[in-house]
Amino acid sequence: MSSQSDGGGSDTPEGVDLAEGIDHQVAMVMDLNKCIGCQTCTIACKTNWTEGGGRDYMYWNNVETRPGSGYPKDWEEMGGGWKSEEHAERQPGQLPEKEEYGRAWEFNHEQIFYEGSDEPLRPMDGAEWGPNWDEDQGAGEYPNSYYFYLPRICNHCTHPSCVEACPRSALYKREEDGIVLVDQDRCRGYRYCVEGCPYKKVYYNSVTKNSEKCIFCYPRIEGEGPEGEVRAPSCAEDCPPQLRLVGFLDDEDGPIYKLVNEYEVAVRLHPEYRTEPNVYYIPPFAPPQHSERGESLDSERIPRNYLEELFGPEVNEALNTIERERAKVERGEESEVMDLLTTENPAKQYRLEVFDEE
Amino acid sequence: MTMKPKELTLAAALAVALVATTVAVPALVEARPAYAVPVHEGGEDASFASPGSQDWDAAPAATLHMSSAESGLPNASSTSVEQVDLQAVTTDERLYLKLSWADATRDTSTSDVREFADAVAVQLPVNESARPPIAMGGASNRVNVWFWRADGTSQELLAGGAGSTTPLDDTVSNASRYENGTWEVVLSRDLESSATNRTAIPDDRDLDVAVAVWNGSNGERSGVKAASSWHYLALGGGPQGPPYELLLWAVAGAAIVVTTLVTVEGVRRTRGES
Repeated sequence: MSSQSDGGGSDTPEGVDLAEGIDHQVAMVMDLNKCIGCQTCTIACKTNWTEGGGRDYMYWNNVETRPGSGYPKDWEEMGGGWKSEEHAERQPGQLPEKEEYGRAWEFNHEQIFYEGSDEPLRPMDGAEWGPNWDEDQGAGEYPNSYYFYLPRICNHCTHPSCVEACPRSALYKREEDGIVLVDQDRCRGYRYCVEGCPYKKVYYNSVTKNSEKCIFCYPRIEGEGPEGEVRAPSCAEDCPPQLRLVGFLDDEDGPIYKLVNEYEVAVRLHPEYRTEPNVYYIPPFAPPQHSERGESLDSERIPRNYLEELFGPEVNEALNTIERERAKVERGEESEVMDLLTTENPAKQYRLEVFDEE
Repeated sequence: MTMKPKELTLAAALAVALVATTVAVPALVEARPAYAVPVHEGGEDASFASPGSQDWDAAPAATLHMSSAESGLPNASSTSVEQVDLQAVTTDERLYLKLSWADATRDTSTSDVREFADAVAVQLPVNESARPPIAMGGASNRVNVWFWRADGTSQELLAGGAGSTTPLDDTVSNASRYENGTWEVVLSRDLESSATNRTAIPDDRDLDVAVAVWNGSNGERSGVKAASSWHYLALGGGPQGPPYELLLWAVAGAAIVVTTLVTVEGVRRTRGES
């Protein structure tokens, strides 16, 4: 059950449910309309945290094409999460296969760069599936095919089923900011967390024999970023189109609270898993459908029921609100929603020091 | 009165069979209390570090019956191993435990996200004055766990309840082999240890012991395990069957023989064959 924390309880804004015992909750909003699928976030994360040491196959941050199978392949069919809003009984989950993640391929760099081969650069063998393998495939028929990109990290859920799944309490939510972490000393590699996470964002490291996951770049948040400064997670800061906003869900003056709670334009991925993610998405708009002759039709290109499958029924009101706000701007009126979504001021995108004085 | 030679032979054979049975049965059923694990005193020249050593043949085995431990974890009741044979040997310096159990699958890898390795653990109380709760002991009554896993992991752990295992600095020695669908694992430790939180192995009284096994390819790990109830290593000597049990069995055997002969004679007389 949701309950307000002792630490920030009295000041917690209306409509914000913090996990029990949590002072504040970090959160992220990703604007899917800006994602160009360049994977810079993926590489930023990988070079920071998952290079080698049993982590080759892990992408704590990945970007997958939608509609598509995702990473790991068909993760939405693997169970996990909660059976009801009471968060009393977990939905059984399963472990992905190695092939469903995709292997870390060896490439023919040696032959091309040093042996004079004129072969194209490519994986040497076994490349049959990998992250974003179905890139840009999408769905629909010409001229109305469609796709969009979905960047995913750990959702640092308010009711994390990975934490509940661990028989050793090796996973926990940090009191100060609700980041979900795996205590590497407690973990014994049982992988119940991997089964239990419905987003498949906990990974097993077969070298350390422990499970590992996105840490929301907590050292950067704590002031150990470049030049010893407080910085947002590198997936956010390194994003070329700057599609991510980072802050605290319970910071009433911050962009997250406004987009999620006040205007309700940022929605959760698969709310039916009931883990209450703290990563939110601005749903994607696409050009309307076209006729064979290239005329715009009054019909949405991305089927609304597909977006509902991903983001729940709340996506409808979110899309309607954004449409109204865009119309306001087109008429020359003010729109705080559009200001928040189009700001180029890093101080407005990333608000991470707001509770530092506590 | 004359017994026909044929009848006489039959009665004699019956009597011999009964005597043989009465003598053999106690040995077959291991004449000792139900939860005792006999401790064999290994000679100076004997070697027990390897499960294949012939010296193990001299150590009697206790068969521990295993059942799925209660853990609340998914598939907790579907464990596959039903019994483990436990042999115990002390030498002047070390305690050796050999665990043998049938497992049709030899699972030694933990290198894929879906792979779990076979494993076995021995649980001993840290302080043997009171018997700890069977499920990994309790907060005020902790246990040592000797843990071996087929991927090469070997650890000595301290636990005070489910989910609390913590590695100790010391580690048990281990050796294993898998033959004909059976795992044989030898775990051993020095008898003497002054380390805190480490079981002090007594030489004058019994020591509680319990065993757990995991079948990796059945997804068994953590609390999903086949576990025994508490048994004890008979380190304290005491009644272990012979000689008084042998005496009782001998008296019983003689009584059965006499009864049989009397009955045969009675039947013969009743038929008026005298």
